[in-house]
Amino acid sequence: MTTLPAVEKPPTVLQDTPAARPKTGFRRYWHLYAAISPFYLLFLAFGLIPVGFSLYLSFHRWDGLGSMEWAGLAQYQYLLTDSDFWQSIGNTIIIWALATFPMIFLAMVTAVMLNSAVRFKNVYRFAYFLPNVTSIVAIAIIFGSVFSTNFGLMNALLQAVGLDQVAWLNTPWGIKVAIATLMTWQWTGYNAIIFLAGLQTIPSDLYEAARIDGAGPVQTFFRITLPLMRPVLLFVLVVSTVTGLQSFAEPQVLLQTTANESTFSGGPDHAGRTMVLYFFQQTFDNNDFGYGAAVAWGIFLVVVLFSIINWRLVQRRGEA
Amino acid sequence: MASTIKGSRRRGIALHAVLVIGLLLSAFPFYWAVIMSTHTSTEIFSYPPKLLPGSHFFENVRHLFDNIDFFGSMLNSLLVAVSVTVLVLFFDSLAAFVFAKFEFPGRKLLFALLMAIFMVPAQLAAIPQFVIMAKLGWIGSMTALIVPAAANAFGIFWMRQYMKGAIHDELLDAAKLDGAGFLRQYWHVALPVVRPGLAFLGIFTFMAQWNDYAWPLIALTNPDNVTLQVALSQLNGNHGTTDYGMVMTGALLALVPLLIVFAIGARQIIGDLAKGAVRG
Amino acid sequence: MRLSRRGLLRAGLAGTAATALGGLTSGCAVPTGSTGRNMVLWYWSGGLSDTVVKEAKARYDNVVSLKAQQIGGYYRSKLITTMAGRAHIPDIAGLKGEDMASYLPNAGQFVDLRTLGADKLKSQYLDWKWQQAVAPDGSLIGFPIDVGPVVHYYQQAVFEKAGLPYEPDDVSKELDTWEKFFAAGEQLKRRIPGTYILTDVGSVFEMSIGQGTTRFVDRDRHFIGDGEHVRACWDRAVEAKRRGIVSDIVTGTPDSISATEKGQLPSQLNASWAAGDLKLQYPKTEGKWRVANCPGGPSNVGGSFLSITKACREPERAFEIITWMLNADNQAQGFVEAGLFPSTPASYEMKKLREPDPFFGDQITMDVFGPAAEKIPVAFNSPYDIALGQPIRDEIKNVGVLGKDPEKAWSDAMSKCRRIAEHLGVSY
Repeated sequence: MTTLPAVEKPPTVLQDTPAARPKTGFRRYWHLYAAISPFYLLFLAFGLIPVGFSLYLSFHRWDGLGSMEWAGLAQYQYLLTDSDFWQSIGNTIIIWALATFPMIFLAMVTAVMLNSAVRFKNVYRFAYFLPNVTSIVAIAIIFGSVFSTNFGLMNALLQAVGLDQVAWLNTPWGIKVAIATLMTWQWTGYNAIIFLAGLQTIPSDLYEAARIDGAGPVQTFFRITLPLMRPVLLFVLVVSTVTGLQSFAEPQVLLQTTANESTFSGGPDHAGRTMVLYFFQQTFDNNDFGYGAAVAWGIFLVVVLFSIINWRLVQRRGEA
Repeated sequence: MASTIKGSRRRGIALHAVLVIGLLLSAFPFYWAVIMSTHTSTEIFSYPPKLLPGSHFFENVRHLFDNIDFFGSMLNSLLVAVSVTVLVLFFDSLAAFVFAKFEFPGRKLLFALLMAIFMVPAQLAAIPQFVIMAKLGWIGSMTALIVPAAANAFGIFWMRQYMKGAIHDELLDAAKLDGAGFLRQYWHVALPVVRPGLAFLGIFTFMAQWNDYAWPLIALTNPDNVTLQVALSQLNGNHGTTDYGMVMTGALLALVPLLIVFAIGARQIIGDLAKGAVRG
Repeated sequence: MRLSRRGLLRAGLAGTAATALGGLTSGCAVPTGSTGRNMVLWYWSGGLSDTVVKEAKARYDNVVSLKAQQIGGYYRSKLITTMAGRAHIPDIAGLKGEDMASYLPNAGQFVDLRTLGADKLKSQYLDWKWQQAVAPDGSLIGFPIDVGPVVHYYQQAVFEKAGLPYEPDDVSKELDTWEKFFAAGEQLKRRIPGTYILTDVGSVFEMSIGQGTTRFVDRDRHFIGDGEHVRACWDRAVEAKRRGIVSDIVTGTPDSISATEKGQLPSQLNASWAAGDLKLQYPKTEGKWRVANCPGGPSNVGGSFLSITKACREPERAFEIITWMLNADNQAQGFVEAGLFPSTPASYEMKKLREPDPFFGDQITMDVFGPAAEKIPVAFNSPYDIALGQPIRDEIKNVGVLGKDPEKAWSDAMSKCRRIAEHLGVSY
C-alpha cells in the first residue's frame, strides 16, 4: 500500500466525515485505498511508466531493434514541421466533425421521437442500439463494399436516381464522408438512447406548465428540454470527442489494400490517415519508435485541447 | 375533439413511419452482409448489386474455415473478453463503491487523476507497453490483452455515477450499525442493489473487448494465435485473397456471438446505459 | 545470464495466464523461436511453391516439424515488429526483394549464412542477386529465392477486340516502346470504352525505375531521387495519365479486382511472380491471359530471399532445409507453380520450364521471361530507398488517382523527400 504516497499524509481539511478520528489516516482508510488500488497499480505499470518511457523515447532515435540514440528535441522539431502530421490532424478533425454533428442532431431527434412514441418503444431501442454492438472490423468490411465504386450500393442508388457515380474510396472527400457515415451509423442509436434516458428524467409537470403558458413544441424544446439536457449533451460530446479523435479501425480496415504497402496509409492522398493511423504507420511500419512517441504526444495535446474546448463550450452556457 | 384525436393519430403514424425508416437504416448493413455472404465474389462484383440472398453461403463458410482458424480465434476472443469482463466488474465496482460512498484524504485528487487518465489516448503508452511486454514475454499471447485491461477509468467513473444514485446512505448506515465491515458492505449491501449497473458494465466491457482491434493488431504477433478481429482483418488484407463473399461471411459470422450477448443483455444495456450520463 | 533471468520471469508469469492460453491454441511457436522440433517458416501468399513447401515438410518430418505460415498485409512491418516484440519470431523468414536493403542495417537479427557454408553454393546462383543479401559488414542474411523480370500480362481476347496485336510475339514486337504502348492504350480505350490498359500510373513509374540502374539513394547515402533519371520516369507516368490510358482505380482494392475480373483492366506490367498472383486471384480467367515483353526494355521488381533468424535454435538444420527448398530443381517448380523466376541458371534448361501453361493459353512463358531475366539491369538498393521513394510514389498516385497537378505533386514530393532525408540523415 505504500505505493501511494498521498496515503501517508494525515487527513486534513478534505476530511469531512463527522466521525471522531482516533486513528491515523492510513490505518483508518487503508481498506479504501486497497479497494481502489488495482486500477492505479495497473495504471502505474501499463500507463504511467509507459507514458514516462514514451516521453524518454521521444527524445531518441530508435528502430526497436538496435540501440537508442539521443536525439534531443529533433523529433519534436520534425513533428512541428511535418506536413503529414498536420494533415492527419486535419483529417481527424474533419472526419470527427462530419460524424459528430449530424450524429448528435440525429440522435436528439430520434430521442425526442422515441420519447413521445408510446408503442414499440423497446423494439426501436433494441434496433437502434444494434449498430453500436457490432465489431468495427466487420462493419468496416461491410461499408467498404457499400461504398465501392463499381459494385457498391451507394453508387447503385446514385445511378438509380440519375446521378453520376462517385469514387467514394478514391477521392479525399469521398473517403472522409464514407468514414464519417460509418461512425454516424454506429453511434447515432447509442447516443439517442442516452438522450432518451435524459429526457425521461425531465419531470412531466414542467412540460405541463409550459403547455399552460402557451409554449409550442419548438419553444418547449429550446426553453425546457435543451437546458435540462446540457449535462447529458456534455457527456455525449466529451465521449464522442475522445473516441472520435482517436479513430483508427474505421479508416484502417476500410482503406487497406492487398498491395504490399503500409496498411496504415489511409488511401489516396492519405485522406483517411487519421492521427492514430499516422502514429501506427510511423511506429510500426517505419519502425521509427522515437518519432512515433513524439507523434503520440502530439496526439495527446490535440485531444486535451479539444476536451478543454468542449468542456468550456458546454459549461459556459450551462449552469454557470 | 374528434379532429384532434384524428390529428394526433395521424401524427402518431407519421412518427412511427420516421422511426421505422431509422430502424431500417440501422438494420440494413446487416441485411447487406447477409446478401453478400450468400453470393460468390463474381456475383458480388456484378452490376446492379444483388438485393436478394444467393445460394453460396455454405461454400463461403467452407472457404472461410480453410483460410483462417475461425473457431480458434473466436475462442481467443471469448477468453479475452470473459476474463477482462470478470476482472473489470470486480475491480471497477469496488473502486467505484469507494469513490461514491466514502470520504478519505486524497479522494478528490485521485478521482481527478482517474478522469485525466480517461482522456489519455491509449497509443501514448502503446510503444512502451509493447516494449515492456516484449521484456515480460507476453507479446503474442492473450496475456498482453487481458492484464492491462483488467480495470479501467471509464468503468469506475460510470459505476460511481450509478452507485451514487442507487445506493442509499440509510442502507449503508443501517449495515454499519449492524457492524458490517467494508467488504460486507460492498458485497451484501452495494452489489445487490447495483446488479443492473453491473450487468450493463459487464456487457459493455465484453463487447468492447470483443471488438478491440488496434492493440491486438500490434501485440498479437503470432499469426496462429490471434483474436477474431485480427483474423478478420488478415482475411480482408491478405495478398492474394480476393474472395469477397468469403470475407463478408467472416464479417457476418463474427457478429453472431455479439448479437447473442446483446440479445440476452439488451434490456440491461438499453435501460441502464444512460443512467451514468444522466446523473453526471 | 540474461537468458536465465528471462526464463525465470517467464516461468513465473506463465504459471497464471500463459499456460492456460497455451492449452487453448494448438502447438504454436513458444516465445523466442522454436523448441527443438518445431521450426516456423514465414512467407506470404505466392512467395514459395506450395508443392515445395509440402515436400520440405515431408522430407524433414523425421527431424523437425516444419510449420509454414503465410503472413498477410504489410509483410516487412509484421516481421520487424515481431522481432522487436522478441516473441514468436519465425526460425526461417522470407524477405521480399524490394524490402531487402532495409533489412541490411539490422543484419544482426539474422544468422550470417556464410557461417553455415553458403559460400560453397554461391556459384549456383545469379551473382547480382546474391550480392543484394550482403550486409555492409559482409555477412550474408538471405538466400535467393527468385528474381523478378517484368513482363506485360494481357488478356488476348480484349486486345483482339480492340484491334490491337494480340499474339504474344506481335505484342512484344509492336508494343516494344513506351510510346507504342501508350498509343495502344489510347486505341484500347477508344474501341472499348471503359477499358484501360493500366490500372494506375504507379506501374509505369515503378517499371521505368526498374529499367534503370540508379534509384533514389546512392552508395554514399546521398539522395538522388531529384535526378533526371527519376524525373524521366515521373514524366512518363504523367504522360500516361494525360493521355487517359489509366483508370482512376487504386491497385489492390476490391474495385480493381472486380474490374480486372470483368476484363475492364485487361493488361498489367508486372514481375514474373505476379503470374502466381494472377492465378490465385483470378482463377476464373484461366486461359485468357498471355505474356509479352515489357515496353521499354527489361526491368526487375522484387524477387525474394529466405533468411534464418537469430531466434532459430537449429540454424544448421534450417540452412539444410532452405538450401534444399531453393535448389535448381525446386526453383523450377516454383516457376511453374507461382511464377517465381529461378535465381539458379541451372534451372533454365529444365524441361519443366518449357511446358505450356494453360493459364496463359498454353503459351510457353519461359520464351518471354527467360530473355527478360538475362537482361535485367542491376541497380544499387539503399536501405533508405523505401523511405525516400515513398513520397514520390505517393504523389504519382495522387496524380493518377486524384488528378493532382503534376508540377505541384512533384514539388510536394521533393520537399517531403528533403525533410525525410534530413530526418534519416541522408544528404540531399
